[in-house]
Amino acid sequence: MTETASAEAIFETMGAILTRWTMGSTAASAASIWRVELGDDPVEAELRLLALSGQFLGTIVTGEPPSTLRVLPDIPTLALPTVSAALRPLVRRILAASKDAASKADVIHFLAARGWTTHPADWMPDASDEDAPDIYAAWRDWAALAAAGETTPRQNGDQLTADNWDDFWPAARKAALIELRRRDPSAARALLEARLGSENADARLRLLTLLSERLSGDDVAFLENLVTNDRAPKVKAMATSMLARLGHGPAVGEDIAELAAFFSVKTKGLLRRSRVIDFETPKTPAQWQRRKVLLEGADLTSFSGALGLAPQDLIAAWDWNVDPAADAGLIKMIVEPGTNAQLAQAAGVVSEHDATGLIVALAARLAPAERARFAAVGLHTHGFRFEMAQAVAGVAARLDDPLSAPSGAKLLTALRRDDAKPSDHVAELHALGLIASRDSARRSLEQLTGAGLLQADPRLDMLRLNAALDDQGEKP
Amino acid sequence: MTISACSRWAARGDIELSSLADILPILDSNWEAGVAIDLKAVEQLATDQSSLKAAAGLAKPTKWSGVGGSPDGALIWGECAGSGANPYRVMADLRDLGNKCTCPSRKFPCKHVLGLLWLNAESIVPFAPADTPAWVSDWLGRRRGPSAAKPAGAAAPSGEKDLRAARVVEPEATEDPKDAARREAQAAKRNEETERAILDALDALEQWIGDQLRLGLSGFIDDATARCRRIAARLVDGKATALASRIDELPARLLALAAGDRPRGAVVELGKLVLLARAFRAAPRDSAIRRSVATSETRETVLADPSAPRIDTQWEVLAEQVQTRRDGLVSQTTWLLSLAASGPRFAMLLDFFPASAGRRGSVFTPGERFQGELVFYPSQQPLRALLVRRDAAQATLTPEWPAPDQTLSNALTQPLLAEPWAIEIPLLLPQGRIARDDAGGAWWRAADGAAALPVAGKAEGLLSGTELTRTAAIWSGNRLTILAAQSPWGRIGSHD
Repeated sequence: MTETASAEAIFETMGAILTRWTMGSTAASAASIWRVELGDDPVEAELRLLALSGQFLGTIVTGEPPSTLRVLPDIPTLALPTVSAALRPLVRRILAASKDAASKADVIHFLAARGWTTHPADWMPDASDEDAPDIYAAWRDWAALAAAGETTPRQNGDQLTADNWDDFWPAARKAALIELRRRDPSAARALLEARLGSENADARLRLLTLLSERLSGDDVAFLENLVTNDRAPKVKAMATSMLARLGHGPAVGEDIAELAAFFSVKTKGLLRRSRVIDFETPKTPAQWQRRKVLLEGADLTSFSGALGLAPQDLIAAWDWNVDPAADAGLIKMIVEPGTNAQLAQAAGVVSEHDATGLIVALAARLAPAERARFAAVGLHTHGFRFEMAQAVAGVAARLDDPLSAPSGAKLLTALRRDDAKPSDHVAELHALGLIASRDSARRSLEQLTGAGLLQADPRLDMLRLNAALDDQGEKP
Repeated sequence: MTISACSRWAARGDIELSSLADILPILDSNWEAGVAIDLKAVEQLATDQSSLKAAAGLAKPTKWSGVGGSPDGALIWGECAGSGANPYRVMADLRDLGNKCTCPSRKFPCKHVLGLLWLNAESIVPFAPADTPAWVSDWLGRRRGPSAAKPAGAAAPSGEKDLRAARVVEPEATEDPKDAARREAQAAKRNEETERAILDALDALEQWIGDQLRLGLSGFIDDATARCRRIAARLVDGKATALASRIDELPARLLALAAGDRPRGAVVELGKLVLLARAFRAAPRDSAIRRSVATSETRETVLADPSAPRIDTQWEVLAEQVQTRRDGLVSQTTWLLSLAASGPRFAMLLDFFPASAGRRGSVFTPGERFQGELVFYPSQQPLRALLVRRDAAQATLTPEWPAPDQTLSNALTQPLLAEPWAIEIPLLLPQGRIARDDAGGAWWRAADGAAALPVAGKAEGLLSGTELTRTAAIWSGNRLTILAAQSPWGRIGSHD
């Protein structure tokens, strides 16, 4: 008997043995192949058979791989380098300490703004992670491919066209469309005109928002077509909002006239007469509620028109910080459909009036350089805390010497207190690390350790990462 | 005025001249870099005289490795050899004497912390300025504040303590030769009784196994937890504690299998028990077999055993596995990979501590490499080891892991020739990749397509999206648990 035949013979026998033991019958009589080894004592024979069968089943009989094993493609290399091996533990620790998705996203965006990406073992976006920086589009698509059980990456090395639209995974398609819109706005719009209809409502909405970049009068016809023909109310609303930004808001209707009645335009000053908006205080809760509803439904162009003003004149004449509810309503009108110029103007006026919360609301739509400027003004003039400054500045700021601002002095004083605890001011120090320029991060570290913080203090991790990271990102 | 107050001032650089008269008496001659302590602080910090005495015994360079301090002199740390396989990681903040040790002692501070402070106070070893290790930074991040530690000046004395008495080395008592002979005879008698008890317990085990076959494996699988608990209790009574723990964990291993594979799994598990019982009967004094059935040798016994292999080489920490067992103990297993060209490829540092002692800090960081000496428990297949000496961690010693020492089929089966009852076999796999079956199950597949092994868990992310040039894993007969791998992206840990 050959060795192979022997193994096969044993294997053949195993079926009967397992069946007998499973049912509670003796099995030695079924193992004639081991008759000599098992001996004559029936109890002993069962135990010997168990030992032999166990060895055979444990070594020879293991899971056979199916013939259809699939292998995922390699995780693609990104256009930006991964952080160095020396800095990876620091990045991991900062990400692990980030309790929520938003603060984790801040760190990821910070790295991207400085020209770096994470190591895939430390962090990878999900396929649905719309907040991930565009640089991670290839990893998002890899995650989508893995989730879909596909093994072949789609061809996406070419330029995005209507013909190869389906060859791109969603994240790569979005990144290509953004790039095309920056380079050739008309081509991007034409592409959307051709392909938007084949996408579902959520995808249509996401793709339509990409038109915000370099929005111009050339887009009006396309947007009007969407307002008229698109099936999804949220897509229609987005198109309407964009049209309003382009000065194609809805005609002044009864609602706008009713809203305008809550305000009046007055003049003030004797020599240099200027206009100012006077607020007619609602008299009843019902009126307050009605005004709120009207503010939420209005757009800037129509509202200013109803008051006989140009949008920029309304922003200039508005009496900020008097009626917070009205302020919030106007800011909403500016943020959603407002033009870049209107946003910058509003931010300037609001900043002068010390209306911190309103600046934060406007910041998301400001250009990075503008955000950084308002954050610096807020820090040095309005006593912003670092967390607030970071909310305004975003993650691409590189503020010079933020620790010299009043909030920095307060922070240093607080850290020097005898009753200061190691868990104090974690968020402030983290935010400082996100907004400071690399040189400022280095100087801040020196000042903070001079104030008694340990060099190894984990609260300084973000500052340490900032100081150690070569800033090779695009400057705003 | 307390030392911690002084050090806070010093750290800020705002000690005033007018305060010097108060501060100077407290400052020790060892004061350097702004923060220092004296032995008086150690004495005050100790909870009792026995802690102080034990600390004095630990204040010796040979007990410590990896001693260092932060450049600002505020933090010190080190690793102290304890009774287990892993050293304890000890750290202290000299500004307020906050401290932490990974030992399971309920005393706070423990003798290891006091020993570290003692080393520092008397400059017994140099605390070279170094980058703060991640485990110290992690502790700093979790500290609740200065109030969590007892400042030296505020330490409430809990009994008379005397440094001088702690330093006194008591002479070893000379033993009467008759007493020694009597003790040896008693020990031999105890050993015989233990052996007899174990053999009786093994008889009961074999009878129990026969009963399971007679009653049917189908019923055994359904009622495995209760049945295994009963025989495990009998084995504990018979001093076969290691075997009892193994049987306690058997149902969990069985239930991890697909339902259709459980009868096979039950035969494998029970068959190994028969083999182990027979091996013990054949060689009850064999230390490796005794370790699998009863108890392991003490650390001192292994260290004193001239036949225990000692390997001094470069090691990489592959992974740490922490598991709460059914008997209430937590097992902490650290897997190490030897980067040497030959010799034992893997080492396993195994410690147990009661679950009631709470979470215990990791001793090693996966991926770290160090030069160190390990002593292996004597065995035909040396694997379990103790750390004897560990040099400072080094970032890059050997860039790549060595190639597998043998073919995969040999690696899977050869350890079973020496210990056919082994449950887990560590493997160093050649180039391969993670593949998936239609049900989403993960498989490690060799690059040459010659072998594929099912992987425990999901193996997602980077692990499944790159070539694995080397993979270190544990084969449990039906599933591969990946500990770590090397890839074009660098090292991948099991949780990456």
